[in-house]
Amino acid sequence: MRFKASIQNITTFTKLTASLNSLGPLAWVKLSDEQVCFTIIPEQGTQVWAVLSIDTIFETYTVQSAANNVINLEVPLTSLNRALKSALNATSAQIRLTKKDNLPLLALTIATTSSSNSYAAFPTTGANNEDGLNTLDASFGGGSRETIVTQEVPVRVLGPDTVAGLHEPQCREPDVHIILPPLMQLKSISDRFTKLALLGARSGTTASRTRLEVAANMHGCLRMSIKTDAMSISSVWTDLNNPELDPGQVAGGDIGIAEHPSTRMKQLGSADGRSEEGWATVRIDGRDWGKVMSVGRLGGRVIACFCHEHALILYVYLPNDNGDDESVLTRLAWRFFHLPISSYYDLHTNF
Amino acid sequence: MVVLNFTLTPEAAAKVHDLLVCLGKFSDAVAIEARRDRFTFTALNSSKSAYAALTLDGKQFFISYECIPSHGGPDGRFTCSMYTKALLSVFKGRLYDPLGRDGAIDRCEVSVQDRPDQAECRFIVKMVCNQGVIKTYKLTYEAVEVMHALFDKNVAKNRWSMHSSAMKEYIEYFGTKTEMLDIFAGEDGRAVFKSYTEKISNGKEILKHPLVTAVAVNTSDFEDFNVQPGLHIIISVKDFKAIVIHADTLKTNLKAYYSQPTRPLQFNYGCDGFLCEFTLMTSGDYAGLTPTPAPQISSRSDSRAQSTTSERTENRGKRPEMPPPAEPASRRTARRRNPGSRRAKSPKQGDPDPESLFVGREEEDRSWDPVDYNNEEETLGWDASADHEAAIFPTFRDSGSLSRTETEDNNEAVAPTQRVSQIKGLW
Repeated sequence: MRFKASIQNITTFTKLTASLNSLGPLAWVKLSDEQVCFTIIPEQGTQVWAVLSIDTIFETYTVQSAANNVINLEVPLTSLNRALKSALNATSAQIRLTKKDNLPLLALTIATTSSSNSYAAFPTTGANNEDGLNTLDASFGGGSRETIVTQEVPVRVLGPDTVAGLHEPQCREPDVHIILPPLMQLKSISDRFTKLALLGARSGTTASRTRLEVAANMHGCLRMSIKTDAMSISSVWTDLNNPELDPGQVAGGDIGIAEHPSTRMKQLGSADGRSEEGWATVRIDGRDWGKVMSVGRLGGRVIACFCHEHALILYVYLPNDNGDDESVLTRLAWRFFHLPISSYYDLHTNF
Repeated sequence: MVVLNFTLTPEAAAKVHDLLVCLGKFSDAVAIEARRDRFTFTALNSSKSAYAALTLDGKQFFISYECIPSHGGPDGRFTCSMYTKALLSVFKGRLYDPLGRDGAIDRCEVSVQDRPDQAECRFIVKMVCNQGVIKTYKLTYEAVEVMHALFDKNVAKNRWSMHSSAMKEYIEYFGTKTEMLDIFAGEDGRAVFKSYTEKISNGKEILKHPLVTAVAVNTSDFEDFNVQPGLHIIISVKDFKAIVIHADTLKTNLKAYYSQPTRPLQFNYGCDGFLCEFTLMTSGDYAGLTPTPAPQISSRSDSRAQSTTSERTENRGKRPEMPPPAEPASRRTARRRNPGSRRAKSPKQGDPDPESLFVGREEEDRSWDPVDYNNEEETLGWDASADHEAAIFPTFRDSGSLSRTETEDNNEAVAPTQRVSQIKGLW
């Protein structure tokens, strides 16, 4: 079993691990020839299924194993994030799977140059300047000024049968899909709402869970509200974008689109958000929502898919550096079920 | 009867704040030892594995300094002990602020009131602020004998020195919750600082194992590096962090002196009449080491005698001496597993500089973190716990009994009209 890669985009990788860490302490990381998957399945709350193309974060990537060159790891995200943070100013960073005292670990090898050289009154300053003239040599030859930091993150190797039973949840076609407003805006409003709901909960009039009601229609409106016995508050965003469905991506092509729930929803409601019709609504726990919003630090575009009274799925797309075509970088699925948990896997709908 | 009066500039008072923060990471109480020519703060941690002595020079550090101990002649001293927290609440942060904002002082005057004709013995600190405001603090203190750890630099052949800001960069790489620091002099021109935890855990627990971080530094990046190649020496990483963070407030070189594992190690640094010395217990395996240890051990008694005499010639005088005990071989392994850094208070690691004017990248990133709703401080709303009677019947406040009856009436008015037992059938 071999895994070795150099980290190409340390900032993205660090932010990704930070946002995943908000949702759970451990991630299942699946490394294969084509992609890297980060999955979080907490006991309750939001599941995340993130798929990244290899070159998003890695370069010179090798993965080898007896099981079709797939390696499954369980990784503590706090440690991984902490380790990656020390690479933020690095000149290069490598990651590899290794063993020490028979315990598997991910070792990060980070080469840094001191961020401030003013205090370093070495007698070799002259030599340093020569290096500066010959930068290529210095970067390839691993210049002697570098400080090497190694971070060892303990991991657990998961057997193929351990992960065989884990599947991305299936869900029916969404009623409404909409591009969310900037997440920082959304987060600060929903955090306030959650606080208010908690105050209501403390006085004992509502259940201890803080239910935010999130709704959207096919006319560019998003509504976030809380209701308690004493109050009802809501914020409405208008003029958001409902992206068009691509016939190539929907089952049944043009006919599939004509029959798609969102097409029906387009007939209902209005663009000013005043109509009571045409909303697809889900109720979510405010604290869970706050954790999900943590993904905003990646700065991606987020499309929310609402299955009325059933589930909310967020797709996070990261801006692609080298082209206008956005790749599905991270796919976050947020789910909320009104159904009893036991019927979780009984939902057979195409998506 | 002792005479002890001194005056500090705002800068010096701010340094006292910084040193108290540092000592607070070692011990709940600091001991003070005042002599005719210098003033020393000392702290010994509860497991007696770390000892700190921070000496302020009478002439250089203070605007004025006067100390006449009650007895002991020229070698006499005044000693006492105080809670670090109590002193910190007097020597707050931001005492020195060139812009003269809130909290800034003009100077700080300290005196000790310890006379038989006065009812109270107090350590009196006067903060003379701008606009003529004087804040006077009277602190109680406990008379104690101050002990010193002896350290013999002659034996400590292994030495290195590095600028504290470089060292601070390195400790920032260390993971949180680690316990030990292994300082290793490699044979390839690199020195390795490795923070780790020696804890054996199985199964699922493995993932909770703290990060192991090794920072390999070129020995040429040190100001001076003279250590026997292959030598490992292990200290507590918390102590090291506390020392480096403090040294960085002075922007000086941090110097380390040590001989071999299980013998004490000393860090020292200082500038402008301020000398900081930290003597730490070390552990580590020296079995695999090349010869040098043996002769050093045999010469230990000599060298200690030597150090004592040299101390005396330095006019430090007679005092109870407390050399760190030589560790019995039988306990060595046990100690390594259980580093002597079990303190109730752990340093707050990775705290950004609270006085920084700039919002760091860290800070900005933090705004994405989920809100901790249990954090009461930020909660929006009214203070539900406030005395309602005070607000509703402010004029009744003086006649406590009356207001109480009023509220009782109030309570009755909203009391439930039905007993819970009567409606039990409903659920």
